[in-house]
Amino acid sequence: MKKLLFILLFPLVLLTQSAAIRMDQAEEAGARIKAIYIYNFTKYIEWPSDYKEGNFVIGVFGTNIPLLNELNKMATSKTVGSQKLEIKNLSNPNDAAACHIVYILSDNSSQLADVVTKVKGKSALIVTDKAGMAKQGAGINFSVVENKQKIELNKANIEKYKLKVASTLVEMAVQVK
Amino acid sequence: MCLALLLLLAVVADAQQSKVSAAYTFLKSEQLDSAKASIDAAVLHPETSANGQAWYLRGFVYKSIYNKQEKVNKLSPSRLEALSSFRKSLSLDTTQENRQECIKNIKYLATTLYNDAAASLDSVEYKVAIGNFGKFKEYYLLVDPTPANIQQKDIDFTLAIASLYTKIFESDRKGKTEFLKLAKEAYNKILTIDPNNIFANYNMGILFYNQAVNLINQSDYDLDIVALNDIQDNSINLFKESLPFMEKAYELDPKRRETLLGLSGIYFSLNEFEKSNMYKQKLEEIEKHK
Repeated sequence: MKKLLFILLFPLVLLTQSAAIRMDQAEEAGARIKAIYIYNFTKYIEWPSDYKEGNFVIGVFGTNIPLLNELNKMATSKTVGSQKLEIKNLSNPNDAAACHIVYILSDNSSQLADVVTKVKGKSALIVTDKAGMAKQGAGINFSVVENKQKIELNKANIEKYKLKVASTLVEMAVQVK
Repeated sequence: MCLALLLLLAVVADAQQSKVSAAYTFLKSEQLDSAKASIDAAVLHPETSANGQAWYLRGFVYKSIYNKQEKVNKLSPSRLEALSSFRKSLSLDTTQENRQECIKNIKYLATTLYNDAAASLDSVEYKVAIGNFGKFKEYYLLVDPTPANIQQKDIDFTLAIASLYTKIFESDRKGKTEFLKLAKEAYNKILTIDPNNIFANYNMGILFYNQAVNLINQSDYDLDIVALNDIQDNSINLFKESLPFMEKAYELDPKRRETLLGLSGIYFSLNEFEKSNMYKQKLEEIEKHK
C-alpha cells in the first residue's frame, strides 16, 4: 500500500494583485472634463464670420501636460464647423491676439491683464481657472462647486469681443457681472 | 493502513467478508476497477453498510483511482467519492486509529482540492475553482475545525478570486460589467468577515475610483454640458464611495505607498487639492526617508 504523499497548500496570496492608482488617471479625468467644456464653448459661442476661416486656435498659457494632451487629442478628432482645431501652448501675451480661445491656467493668472490688453479689438474668448478672474476680464472662469467642475460666465466680458453667447450656456453657468 | 485492514478483516464476517477481502486483494494488485466493484457492493449490503472499516477501504480504493487515473482532472469524481467515504468511516468508527487514518487521508485529498482551486483561478476555469474551494472547506473543517484557520483560507481565496474578477472586468469594461459586481461582492464578503483587511479595503477603494475615472475618460468631447454634469455627479458619488475604504486602508497602514497615492488621487478628483497635496507630501516624506 502506498504511503500518503505530503503536499503543501499553494499560497493563494501570490494570486492576489493590488491595482495601484495612477495619479495621471486623476489628472487626465480632470483635464477631460475641461476639454469637454471648452469644446462646448465652441458650440454655444459664435465668432464673427471673419474668424470662421483657417484653423480654430486654442491658446493655452501655462504648463499642464495632461490638459495639453487632452486638448491635442480632441484636436485630432473634432472640428469647429469646417475649421480644424489647433492647440498652441503660449508664453507671450502678444500671441493671444491670434487665438479664438485663450485659456489662462491658474498658475499664469497674473498674465490675464496683459492678455486683455493684447486681445482688445479682437474676437477672443478668455477662459481662466482661478476664483475672481471673471470679474477681472475673463469671459468664462472654471470654478469648483461642491466638488464639481462648474463655470462662471461674465456675459459682458464675452460680448465686448464681438462674440455671441447662447442663452443656454448663460443659463448653465454661474453668472458674474 | 495495513493494521487498520487487519482489524477490518477480523470484524467482517460471512459473505460480505469475501467482498471486502476481495476489494483489498484487488487494491493490493492495483486492479482498481475490480476493487471498486467489490467495495461498492460491500458498502451497499446491510451487513457491511455501517462498517466503518469497509468505508475506510472504499475511501482508499477511490483515492487510489484518483491518484492513478484522475490526478489531472480537477473535477475528479473519485476524489469526492474517496472524501465522502472517509467522512462516513469517521462517523461510523470513532476509534483513535481509524480517526487518525481518515483525517490524514481527508487532509491529503482536501489539499489537492485547494491546490486545484488555486490552479483554476483564471478567466476560463474560475467556476471550477469556486466549486473545489467549497469542497475543500467542507472537508477541511473535519481536519481542522478551528474557525480562525478556515476563515483565513476563505479570505485568501476570496481575495484571489476578487482579483481575478477585477482582471476579467478590466479586460472588457463594457462587455464584462458583471465581473465588477462580482468583485465588489467578493470584497464585501471579506470585509464582513474581517473589516480590518487592508487589501480588501484598498482594492474596494480602487474599484470605485477606477469606475469613476473610466466614466469620465470614456466620455466623448461632444458631450453636452447637461450630460457632463450628470457624468460628474455620478463620478463624484463613486469617488465618495471609494473614500471610506481608502481611508480605512490608510488607518490600518499610514505609510503604505499605494494608499497614499490613492487618497491623493481621490481628493484630486474631488477637486480638494489641499487634501490631495497633503497625502502627496506624506508620500514624498516617506520616500525621502527610505
